[in-house]
Amino acid sequence: MNRFKSQLGNKNQGVRRFLPLGSFFLIMVSFFFVVGMARQPKSAVYIRKYKDSRYQLFVNNKPYIIKGVCYSPVPIGDNHEYDLFSDPNKPWIVDGKLMKEMGINTVRFYEIGDNPEQVKQVIRDLYQLYGIRSILGDWLSFWDYPCPRYGDEDFREKAKKKVLDMVNLYKDEEGVLLWILGNENNYSFSGRINPWSNEEIECEPDPAKQISMRAKIYYSFVNELAREIHKIDPNHPVALGNGELLWLDVANQVCPDIDLVACIIYRGKSFGNLFESLKNNFDRPVMLAEFGADSYDAYKNREDQDMQAYFLEQQWREIYKNLYAHKGGTGNCLGGTIFEWTDEWWKHYEYAAASWPVHDTGAGWSNGSYYFDIRVEDNMNMNEEWFGIVAISEELQNGINKRTPRESYYVLQELWKNPEGKPEFKYQKSK
Amino acid sequence: MKKLAISVLLFWCIFGIVSLGLTQEEEVLEQPQTFAVYIDMGARENHYIPSGHMGDYGDVKMNTQSLSEPLSGKTCIEFTYSAKKSQGQGWAGVYWQFPANNWGTKKGGFDLTGMTKLTFWAKGAQGGEVIQKFGVGGIGIGKDVPYPDSSVVETEPIELTDAWKQYTINLAGCDLSYINGGFSWTITSDSNPDGATFYLDDIKFEVDPNMKPESKTAEAMPFYVYSDRGAISNHFIPSGYMPATASQDVKCYQSHKENPYLGDTCIEISYNDNSGTRWAGIYWQHPANNWGAQDAGFDLSTAKKLTFWARGKQGGERIEEFKVGGIMGEYSDSDSASIGPVILNSEWTQYTIDLSGKNMCYIIGGFCWSTNIDVNPEGVTFYLDEIKYE
Repeated sequence: MNRFKSQLGNKNQGVRRFLPLGSFFLIMVSFFFVVGMARQPKSAVYIRKYKDSRYQLFVNNKPYIIKGVCYSPVPIGDNHEYDLFSDPNKPWIVDGKLMKEMGINTVRFYEIGDNPEQVKQVIRDLYQLYGIRSILGDWLSFWDYPCPRYGDEDFREKAKKKVLDMVNLYKDEEGVLLWILGNENNYSFSGRINPWSNEEIECEPDPAKQISMRAKIYYSFVNELAREIHKIDPNHPVALGNGELLWLDVANQVCPDIDLVACIIYRGKSFGNLFESLKNNFDRPVMLAEFGADSYDAYKNREDQDMQAYFLEQQWREIYKNLYAHKGGTGNCLGGTIFEWTDEWWKHYEYAAASWPVHDTGAGWSNGSYYFDIRVEDNMNMNEEWFGIVAISEELQNGINKRTPRESYYVLQELWKNPEGKPEFKYQKSK
Repeated sequence: MKKLAISVLLFWCIFGIVSLGLTQEEEVLEQPQTFAVYIDMGARENHYIPSGHMGDYGDVKMNTQSLSEPLSGKTCIEFTYSAKKSQGQGWAGVYWQFPANNWGTKKGGFDLTGMTKLTFWAKGAQGGEVIQKFGVGGIGIGKDVPYPDSSVVETEPIELTDAWKQYTINLAGCDLSYINGGFSWTITSDSNPDGATFYLDDIKFEVDPNMKPESKTAEAMPFYVYSDRGAISNHFIPSGYMPATASQDVKCYQSHKENPYLGDTCIEISYNDNSGTRWAGIYWQHPANNWGAQDAGFDLSTAKKLTFWARGKQGGERIEEFKVGGIMGEYSDSDSASIGPVILNSEWTQYTIDLSGKNMCYIIGGFCWSTNIDVNPEGVTFYLDEIKYE
């Protein structure tokens, strides 16, 4: 007993000598830990870069693969002016359940409503009921009449205020995943859509240089927004929305504050050189922010759910192959949001209200990468009203158009459960 | 004794039945070592019929029992091609089919699994005749027919000699489970402006265990898209008119003789918005009309750039984009690169598409241009020459 006392006594002497220094150390660690925790938001989202330009998205310090859909569930009879956020029928309650059952963890909103409380309610419902996070986007006034004057300071300031207001309003929402600035706004550089210019550009005779000038102006503006967003919200990445990878070599020069590219891309069953090319031109991770396939065979003039399921599964297999966790790919993909959740019946004749309640079978554009029905007359094979992985019908359930998942819904549900092991979905061409 | 006789008889009966059974089984298992397309006129070994006449079918005369120095037997097949463009196509060809005239709508064809090559003998009447391609299979692939061939394999252009020469098409590793188009050839008027007479004999599939699946090797540079009219070094065909209405809007003449940059000819392209579509373009593809349905990309991974010469008829014509690669289909180009918009000069000017950092290991769409009426309100006429990968 004495022996033990003695030893204890010696030890206590050591502890007593260590106590002041150790206590100070522990207090400081605890202080910084507590302060750090207090500053840490409930849901911090960040991207980690590894060697060889491989990237991974983290949410609450856990790897996160974006398995999402573009969410614009316009009811039959309405058009793009429909405001989901103020819909008293709350379609996101029904949709969120279906999404969760499929395995979806993210929705992408192209732009949000004007009423912050309503928007917050949708974000919260989706997150709290189903664990689904929201990507919030802004068009950057791309559709302002008569054109998006990115070359003019007053226009940029107005667009900037709108974006920063959005960030300030929703940055503390636990369900927010990240911000996307713009969509396919880069197509305006060549004047394909919404052409814009300024005096300096007009003075340049070389059209290729004109395009570069527009690109530089626009991407510099987006980078300025990203920089400002990071100041007020360090906890959510900022994505540059971009059609294909066009002109990202210019972005590479002027966009140090962009965290990732949100790519809008329609290349059929494969994304081709996308991942490797991005690595070479603009070393950022990418989420496929808009991609997919329609479910209507324009050539045979009938719905073909197999065709859509085949393309979507092939696309998702390639997404998985290029995630960080898959050692065989480029490792710069973070996931994607499929275009889109439900069909939108207003799209084919968007200016004819009489056609909004009709599920048109006309095709609005041509894309040879979707090769099963490209032999249709004039090659017009892309049926804009048939991109949903969930069909809607006029029958109402819970006040909203009845939802019927298409084959692609189930094919992806199985793929996401077992991305390596699921047998490949074979498209059976009808005789 | 009677018992013994019955026993012996029974033994021989059983032995006979068993032997017969074994022989039959052996016959079933034994795989033929050859499978003939054409050996001689009327030969019972012939399996396919040269019934599928394509393109300018009025330009082709066929004699399936030519006595003109056959390689073996009594006859060979003689083809005479007039290059008159009777149907306005500029090319012609013949498919050997089974049954006759079967373009994939009827069940026919053969399961040739196990065959590893097709060999044939050919010669030209004078030597120098250029056959655009010889091929096996390909009927109905990418088309809406119930019985498409399971594979297609084609040769590069071949310049015939005036003496019999054997050619081999490697089929090792190909899916030959259904082949209705047993053999085919096509010829173009560009390559044979004065027509051609040529002979074929002893066309047959063979089992050759030494044949290995062809691994694609990188093409040597320079690699031409277009050098001159009908040049054997041309590797792509300007067949991909975009959009579908472009055939009304675009004229592409590959034999323009006035002021070429190099050689005898250049390409003249004229565009007007006749259809009202407002834009148009052309892809140079391999083979023709391949939007990614056929596995036929070239490995151009050693290419550092694509160069071409261009001029406008008046100068000031605006081409929105010149491009390589970018075809996406069942088989997709491995990468793409482009320049543009380009304002053309009235003098020949060389342009370069930089391919550094690009993955050019699989290219179906060798070259492409597109423009629109908005930037060329009066339409455009322009010229291209010496399009090549370097």
